[in-house]
Amino acid sequence: MRGITFDWAGVVTGQPAQWLLSGFLTTVYVTVAGCVLASAVALVVVALRLAPGRVGRYAAGTFVEIFLNTPILVQMLFWYFAAYGLLPRTWRLFINADHPWAVLPVNVIVLAPEFLCAAWGLGLFTAVFLAQELRTGLNAVPKGQTEAAMAQGLSSWQTLRFVLLPQALVNAWQPLVGQYLNLMKLSSLATGIGLAELTSQVRKIESYNAHSLEAFAVGTAIYLALGVAMGRLLLLVGPKRPDRKRSAPPERAGALVVASSARGSDGI
Amino acid sequence: MGTTPAIEFRKICKSYGQLRVLRDIDLKVAPGQVMAVCGPSGSGKSTLLRLVNRLESISTGEILIDGVPTAGFRGRKLQQLRTEIGFVFQQFNLYANLNAADNVSLALRNVRGVSREKSRARALELLERVGLADKATCFPSQLSGGQQQRVAIARALATDPKVVLFDEPTSALDPEMIGEVLRVMQELPKSGITMMVVTHEMSFARDIADWVIFIDGGAIVEQAAPADFFGAPVHERTRHFLQQILSPLAAAPK
Repeated sequence: MRGITFDWAGVVTGQPAQWLLSGFLTTVYVTVAGCVLASAVALVVVALRLAPGRVGRYAAGTFVEIFLNTPILVQMLFWYFAAYGLLPRTWRLFINADHPWAVLPVNVIVLAPEFLCAAWGLGLFTAVFLAQELRTGLNAVPKGQTEAAMAQGLSSWQTLRFVLLPQALVNAWQPLVGQYLNLMKLSSLATGIGLAELTSQVRKIESYNAHSLEAFAVGTAIYLALGVAMGRLLLLVGPKRPDRKRSAPPERAGALVVASSARGSDGI
Repeated sequence: MGTTPAIEFRKICKSYGQLRVLRDIDLKVAPGQVMAVCGPSGSGKSTLLRLVNRLESISTGEILIDGVPTAGFRGRKLQQLRTEIGFVFQQFNLYANLNAADNVSLALRNVRGVSREKSRARALELLERVGLADKATCFPSQLSGGQQQRVAIARALATDPKVVLFDEPTSALDPEMIGEVLRVMQELPKSGITMMVVTHEMSFARDIADWVIFIDGGAIVEQAAPADFFGAPVHERTRHFLQQILSPLAAAPK
């Protein structure tokens, strides 16, 4: 019995440290892949919902209902244990073959069923939440903006792309960042389909040298740091109101100088 | 009447469910004509305007633009039609995410496919024309109401429309800004643009329009040249409306 003594070296040095690094990077990679996929799918869903076609609207609505109302773990298990097996044999052979170009630093194999199913599952699940947030952001854009674009002959896709989406992104950026962060945290569930991401590596350390307290503490700290960094970064690079950094309108300049300088000092 | 009307309304009816907003409107707007449309609020005059570029759909009847019925237009064809009809809104509706120059050039670039340089040059030229050359990089939120509406007029002119529709262009403006917008509008007929202007601005109707129609209850009650319309209104409802607009305090309550 160890009592309550900590042996951090058993976690942050040697083989366990290697595992943690590899797990951390796998989490980062699957998060990035999932976020990219989620954003693309969310965009398609939103576009279908706004487009004139009724079929597209129903398809998008159904997609949202399904992915919104079923658990992410079940979805991920479904993709990995059920859907993946339905892929054509040639595809699966291709995925399982050696591809040096698909190996990211610290030996993370991207073209592997675990990684693909995790990114795919996380991406589709998060896409519906992104689409919902975007919809809220779009609803906050005044109707006159759409009418002006229609009156100028823009198509519904052009209206979305040039007028509505830029404004919706500004309106909804904060909650959207929250959804991207959720994706990162939910990636820990991919341990259930055998992806060697951070959580799975922490558990590996536990069974390797029984440093469970230290391993989970360090793992949690890494998630925390990653979450804080990711949130800050996304808010920093995110869209801003176009006139934020510029001078105030002349007639109210005096009143707003104070407000905008106060805003400038608190960062984001 | 040798020439084809720029806009022709034939037996236009518009209903929202049970509510009939417009009934049996027959109207011709000649090329280059400046037509003022007035009437009490809720009389259907904005709806009349919004039918022309299909922001609203017609219930029955048809609208001909340059002699061509447009009811069947869909997709690309409708988009093309809309680039030939400028529309200026009461609330300006400038794209909040774009600066003044980009507001003007957006449709030119993306619907007409004009190059970036050319559409930008055209935008600056139009901003110059409405007296806002120095505001090209300002965002709508940095402009006064009058300035926003002038940018909106420049935007409506970007694709060289033959027709420009104005839906109460000065109603949302502070009184001191109405003049700057009216002065810009006053210049447009000189370039041969056909204008339909829904307005409560009687000075515009009197001095700039060459035809005035009065709509009440979804029907055209009276139409005349401005001199006759203001000098000798025939219909009792027109007289009452004019009295209310021109001297609100003196108008007898009904």
